[in-house]
Amino acid sequence: MSVKYIPVQWNRNKWLYDGVMLAGVCAFLWLFIHVSPELLSHEHPINAQVHNARAFGACAFVMLSIILAIGPLARLDRRFLPLLYNRRHFGVMTVFVALSHASYIVNWYFAFSSSNKYEALLFANTSFGQVAGFPFEVFGIFALAVLLILATTSHDFWMKFLTPPVWKRLHYLIYPAYASVVAHVSLGILQEQQNHVFTGIFLVGAGAVALLHILAALHERRAGDPKADAGQGGLVRVCDVGDIAEGRARITLLPGGDRVAVFRQDGRLSAISNACAHQNGPLGEGRVIDCFVTCPWHGFQYDVTNGRSPAPFTETIPTYNLSLQGRSVMVDPTANPPGTYVEPVPVPDATPTEDPA
Amino acid sequence: MNTAEALFFAVRLWLSIGAFVAAVFLTVGIDRVDEDARGAYVFRPLLVPGILLIWPLVVWRWGVLEMGRDRWAARYAPPRATHMAAALLMAGAMVVAIWLGLSSRQDWPADIAPERLSAPEVSQ
Repeated sequence: MSVKYIPVQWNRNKWLYDGVMLAGVCAFLWLFIHVSPELLSHEHPINAQVHNARAFGACAFVMLSIILAIGPLARLDRRFLPLLYNRRHFGVMTVFVALSHASYIVNWYFAFSSSNKYEALLFANTSFGQVAGFPFEVFGIFALAVLLILATTSHDFWMKFLTPPVWKRLHYLIYPAYASVVAHVSLGILQEQQNHVFTGIFLVGAGAVALLHILAALHERRAGDPKADAGQGGLVRVCDVGDIAEGRARITLLPGGDRVAVFRQDGRLSAISNACAHQNGPLGEGRVIDCFVTCPWHGFQYDVTNGRSPAPFTETIPTYNLSLQGRSVMVDPTANPPGTYVEPVPVPDATPTEDPA
Repeated sequence: MNTAEALFFAVRLWLSIGAFVAAVFLTVGIDRVDEDARGAYVFRPLLVPGILLIWPLVVWRWGVLEMGRDRWAARYAPPRATHMAAALLMAGAMVVAIWLGLSSRQDWPADIAPERLSAPEVSQ
């Protein structure tokens, strides 16, 4: 959260996260280059340049696999949420590792051409009509271009400027990019492996990423947010008031496709958009303390009565008008403009329901 | 000009236009469309690489914000429903890529005799 933009919002957790990540990268490269040449089938590298290229390439693949696994893991199990907190730094570091891989490749295989080395990369092999010997470099170029776009648009400015949904759609490019990396490896280095350890590691890593994403999508479909029931006077029924635990929210899908989060705080109900203004994280999965809900993704906070971040921060989210009809919580599906105060609705029999957490 | 030269020229042209957009946007536009950027200058160089790459999006959003056509409701509609399709497409593409890679591999399974490949086609 910021009032004025700064280059990087460091804090202790981010220093720790980045430190562990950097140590992991160094350990992987050292292990790959010095400890396990036989295991990973590169005991006879052509030269140090190629050796390093393989090490950085393998490291970039592992980092990308971990990045792509974090999202679905956090969806399936909240204990992985801390990994999500600083994932953008992970992505930026992955780009530097991938660029190192590309640099070693270009500066060895294509640097001695009479043409521009980048043009040489494009015309050295144009056998696009065959699988064996396919110019697998194009998959790497595409993936690297996507990673560069994602890393260079990772500052908070971009989310606010493009809007979180457009930013998210742009960052969906990570899916074709990862498939492209898999094709790059399959039609590239996998073709000359003499033992199958590397092949096995690659298949397990890629398979785990694909499986986790499918499981998370199925989880979302099966245990996803319930739809609101039709009500009277333009209102929709969200749930029974007893369904909302004290300090928690009930997330419901509204007829227009938006999600509302109805919170219960000190025996009173308030309704806000479920989408955080920062990255559209699920606010309804956060906990309310002193009227403020904290987004489980990156810690942005909002007053549930007016959808405003505490001063001096300026983020706002839409609120919803709500009422009680008997024990039914009714919501007007038309959102109020971001930051609009809505008087909380007291629960008549304010016997607090225990928070299961 | 061969295809590789044309592609390389196109990339340089794209980045050059991006550099122009970055220069104008970061000196004039950003202060007009984002109050959090006013008086904040140190972070602006960090935006240059992104503008070089996605300058058409920058121009589009800049225009939307300048003309006051930004709809606040659209900011709170994450594309969650498309995750299933994205996951399945990614997994499918990966399976095809791995199958093609393993099936064209010359030393796996071990009992397959190696096949000599034709020399790569070179366009220059």
